[in-house]
Amino acid sequence: MKIVIAGAGEVGSHLAKLLSNEEQDITLVDSDATKLGVLDANFNLMTITGDPTSFAALREAKVDRCDLFIAVTPYETANIVACSIAKNLGAQLTVARIDSYDYMKPENFRHVKQMGVDKVIYPEYLAAQEIITALEYSWMRSRYELHEGQIILAGIVLPEGAPIAGMQLKEFASTNHSFHVSAIRRNHETIIPGGGDRLLAGDVLFFTTTREHVDDLMALTGQEDRKIRRVMIMGGGKLAMRLTNLAEGRFKFKILENDIDECHKLSRRCPTDVEIINGDARDVETLLDSGITEMDAFVTLTPSSESNILTCLTARELVDAKTVAEVENIQFIDQAEALNINLVINKKLLASSAIFQLLLDADSSTSKCLALADAEVAEMEVRKGSKITHAPVKDLRLSRDMTLGGLIRDGKGMLIGGNTQILPGDHVLVFCLTGALRQVERLFN
Amino acid sequence: MRTISRQPLFNIPMLLKVVGMLLMIESAFFLLPIGAGLYYHEEDTLITGITAAGTFLVGLWMARRIRTTHNRLSKRDGFLLTSSVWVAFSLFGMLPFIFSPTTPCNVSDAFFEAMSGFTTTGASTLGSRPGMSNCLLLWRAVMQWIGGLGIILFTLAVIPMLNTRGGMQMFNAEMTGITHDKIRPRVSQTAKSLWGVYMGLTVLLALLLWAGPMDFFDALCTAFGTLSTGGYTSGISGMLAMEHTYVKLVMIVFMFIGGVNFALIFRFITGQPRQLLRNDVLRIYVIFTGIMWACFAVARVAAEGYHGLVELLVDPLFQVVAISTSTGISLLPLAGWGGFTLMLTVMMMFFGGCAGSTSGGAKIDRMVYLFKNMRNELYRCIYPNAVLPVQVGGRVASPQLVGKVIAFLCIYVMVIIVGACVLTVMGVPVTDAIFSCFSCISNTGFGTEITGLGGSYDMLPGAAKWVLSLIMLTGRLEIFSVLVLLLPSFWSRG
Repeated sequence: MKIVIAGAGEVGSHLAKLLSNEEQDITLVDSDATKLGVLDANFNLMTITGDPTSFAALREAKVDRCDLFIAVTPYETANIVACSIAKNLGAQLTVARIDSYDYMKPENFRHVKQMGVDKVIYPEYLAAQEIITALEYSWMRSRYELHEGQIILAGIVLPEGAPIAGMQLKEFASTNHSFHVSAIRRNHETIIPGGGDRLLAGDVLFFTTTREHVDDLMALTGQEDRKIRRVMIMGGGKLAMRLTNLAEGRFKFKILENDIDECHKLSRRCPTDVEIINGDARDVETLLDSGITEMDAFVTLTPSSESNILTCLTARELVDAKTVAEVENIQFIDQAEALNINLVINKKLLASSAIFQLLLDADSSTSKCLALADAEVAEMEVRKGSKITHAPVKDLRLSRDMTLGGLIRDGKGMLIGGNTQILPGDHVLVFCLTGALRQVERLFN
Repeated sequence: MRTISRQPLFNIPMLLKVVGMLLMIESAFFLLPIGAGLYYHEEDTLITGITAAGTFLVGLWMARRIRTTHNRLSKRDGFLLTSSVWVAFSLFGMLPFIFSPTTPCNVSDAFFEAMSGFTTTGASTLGSRPGMSNCLLLWRAVMQWIGGLGIILFTLAVIPMLNTRGGMQMFNAEMTGITHDKIRPRVSQTAKSLWGVYMGLTVLLALLLWAGPMDFFDALCTAFGTLSTGGYTSGISGMLAMEHTYVKLVMIVFMFIGGVNFALIFRFITGQPRQLLRNDVLRIYVIFTGIMWACFAVARVAAEGYHGLVELLVDPLFQVVAISTSTGISLLPLAGWGGFTLMLTVMMMFFGGCAGSTSGGAKIDRMVYLFKNMRNELYRCIYPNAVLPVQVGGRVASPQLVGKVIAFLCIYVMVIIVGACVLTVMGVPVTDAIFSCFSCISNTGFGTEITGLGGSYDMLPGAAKWVLSLIMLTGRLEIFSVLVLLLPSFWSRG
C-alpha cells in the first residue's frame, strides 16, 4: 500500500517506522531536512524535503498515486490544507490530525469532508475516551475493543483469593466457553498459556470474550466493581478539558493546575461542575488539602512524563485510587506499567493505532494490531485452502507459542473451542510470542 | 532496555547466515561461465563447476545450519556485513583461477584478480598471459558486472529478508555518492528498478556489439565490462575487435552512461526526461568530458601529427571516457602523447564519474561541492562575514555535509599516500607505488605501463597485491564503509 505521511514530528516518524516495518511503501514529507536525514538513513522509506502544504512537494511525493495520505504536522490548519491538496491531486484516502473538537462535530465534519479530509484523528479525544473507558471499567486493568467491539480483550490482575487463583487452566476452562485466557503476564514475562498452566495470584490475565460475557469475568477473577465517581486531575491542559467535557457528568472532577491563567481558561471551557484548584499537585500538602483521600481515581496529565509517573506513585501512598498517567516518552511506558500505574496514556501511540485501524479496514492483509510487551496479537484473514481450515482446531496440533483468541465471522465475534472449524473468510485473532508470527503466517497462507 | 544491554555487539550468526545466502546467489552466477566452458569444450569448465557447487553448498550450509537468536542487524553489523560480503565473494570467486588446469596462478594473483573484478577496477595480473580460457574470461566479466552496480544492491532486489533496517545500512554502505537517492519508497523496489535499468542497458549494449564486428562471446564479455566500467577485455579477439570505429563509438556511449547516476537514468526512462537536463552534476560531467576531449585531441596532434579524422576525434574521446568513468581500457600507449595527457589522466582518475553510477574515483558530485566551497572560502577572505551557502542542484547543502565531503577527499588522498608508503617498503619504485595506489582506489585499473614508467601489476610482489586489493575495496565502498572497521570503538562498546 502506498502511504504518504506529511510531517515528520513524533507521530509522523513513529507511524512511518511502524508502517515501514509492516512492509508498506512509505514516503515522508517534511520541511526539516535534518530530521528527515536521520530517518532516511536508518529506515526503509523515502523522504522528500519540502513544505507539506506545497503542491510541488506533494507532487514529488506522488500523492496522486497514493492509497493513503496522512497529515500529522503540528498545525491542524496545515494538515487540513495538505489533505485538501492531496485529495485534489488524487489521493485515495486522506487523514488529518486536528487539535480541536470543532472540526470533529458531526455538523461541522460534513464541511471538513468537502475540503478533502476523509478522516480526522484527534489524539486528545482518543486519549480522553481511553481514560473514560478505564474509569468506567475500573476492575479491569486494561480493555481493548477489537473489530468494533465484537471481541473484547480484557487485562485483569488476579488477586489473592480469587476463585480461579491456583487452578490449572483446563480445570475450569473446559466447563466454560464464554471466555478464553489468551496470555498471561507474570514477572515481566508474557506466557501463552496451555491447559496445564496454573494461574497464580498477581498474574495479569488477558481474556478474550464477547461483549455479553464481560461481566462473567468479574466474579471469576474475584474483582469487585468499584464505581468510580470522584476523579482528581493534575495538569489542566487540552486533554483535561476534553476529558471533562466528554465525560458528561459521569464523574466528579477536580483539576489541580499550577498556572493561574490556565485555571481561568479552564473555568471558562470546562463544565460548571468541575472544581478547579490553583496549586502544585507535586506537593503532598496541596494534594491533602485538595482532598486526595476522598478520590476514587487520580489522573496526571502534565507535559512532563516523569512528574506524571512520580505523582501517581505519591498519590497511591495517600489513597487507594486508580491511577492514570500520561507518558509521552515511549521508552518510559514499560517502566510506568511495571510501577503498577493502572493506565498509561500516550497520545502518539493512540494516534498511530487509530491510523493503523484505518489501514486494517482498508487492507486486510495488514495483520498486526497491537502488541502486549513481548507478545503480539494479530488479526488474520483466513484464505481459502489455508492449513488452518483443514481440521477442527483440536486436531490441528498448533504450536505452543500461539493461541487462537477468537474469531469474527460475518461481522460477529465468537470464541473458539476445540471443535470449532475455521472457515475461509473468518478473521481470527491470534496471540503469539514475538518471533512466532512467521509460523502463524504459514498457517494462514 | 533489558534485552539491549545483554546483546552482543555483533549478531555474528545472522551475519554468517546472510553471507551464506549471498554465496548461494554467487554460485548461480557461475552458471554463465560454465555454459561458455561447455560450449567451447574447455578444461576449466570442470573446476568452475566444482567451485560453483562448492560455493553453493557452503552457502547452503551457512544459511541453513547456523542458528540465529534474532535477525536484527545493527549499524555495526551493516558495515561489517558489507565488507565481509565483498571479501567472501572475492575469496570464492578466485578459486577457478587458482585451480585452473590451463592457466594456474598463485593465491595472491587470483585474489587480486577477483577483487579487481568485483570492484570494477579491471587491473589484471593474469591479463598479459595468453591462453586464458573463454570460461575464465567470461567469469572475469561477470564478476565486474555483479560488482558494477553492487553485490548488496542485487541481493536487496532478490532477497526480501534484507528489506529491514540492517538492509538499509548495507544499502548506504555500498551505494556510491554523498547522499543516497531512493527512487522508490522501499529499498527493495529501488534495488529492483536500478538493476532493471542496468540489465536492460547491458542487453542493449551486447546486442549492439554483436550486430557489429564482434562475435557473441566477445560482445557479451565486452558488454559486461563496459557498462560496469570495469575494463576487463575478452582476450585477444576482443581487443582486436575494439579497433573498429563502430565498436569504439558504441563503447564510448555506454561507458559514458555507466558514469551517469542510474537513478537519473531510471527517471529519464520512466518519463521524467527533464530531470536529466536540470541536473547540475551531469552538466558538469558532460562539459568536463568535452574539455578533456579537446585537450587530448590537441595533445595527440602535437605529439604524432595529423593522421585522419578518426584518429583525431574518436580515439581521444574513447580514451577520455575510458579514464574518467574508471573503465581503464587503453588502446594506445598514452605515454607517447606527452606528459600533459598523463597529468590530465591522473586528474580524471581522481574526479571519476557521477555519484550513483558504476564508475569509480572521488565522483564529480564531490568535486562540485569542493569547488563551490573553495570559492566561498576565497570570497570570505575579502568579506569575512558573508553568509555563503554551498548550493548544488538548487538545494543548499548543510555545513556538516560539506565537511563530510571534504573529509572524504582528504582521507582519499591519505589512503593513496599511506598505501604508496607500504608498497615502497616492499620494494616497489615510488612512481609505480603512487600510481598503482591511485589507480586502485579510483577503480580505474591502469597499470604503470601506461605511464611508460614501470611494468604491469604482475611485476609486483605478492604482499603488494593484497594491499592493493584492500585499497580497491576501500575505493569501491567509498572509504568510510571500510575504514570505519579500523576504528577501535567499532569493535568495543567503550
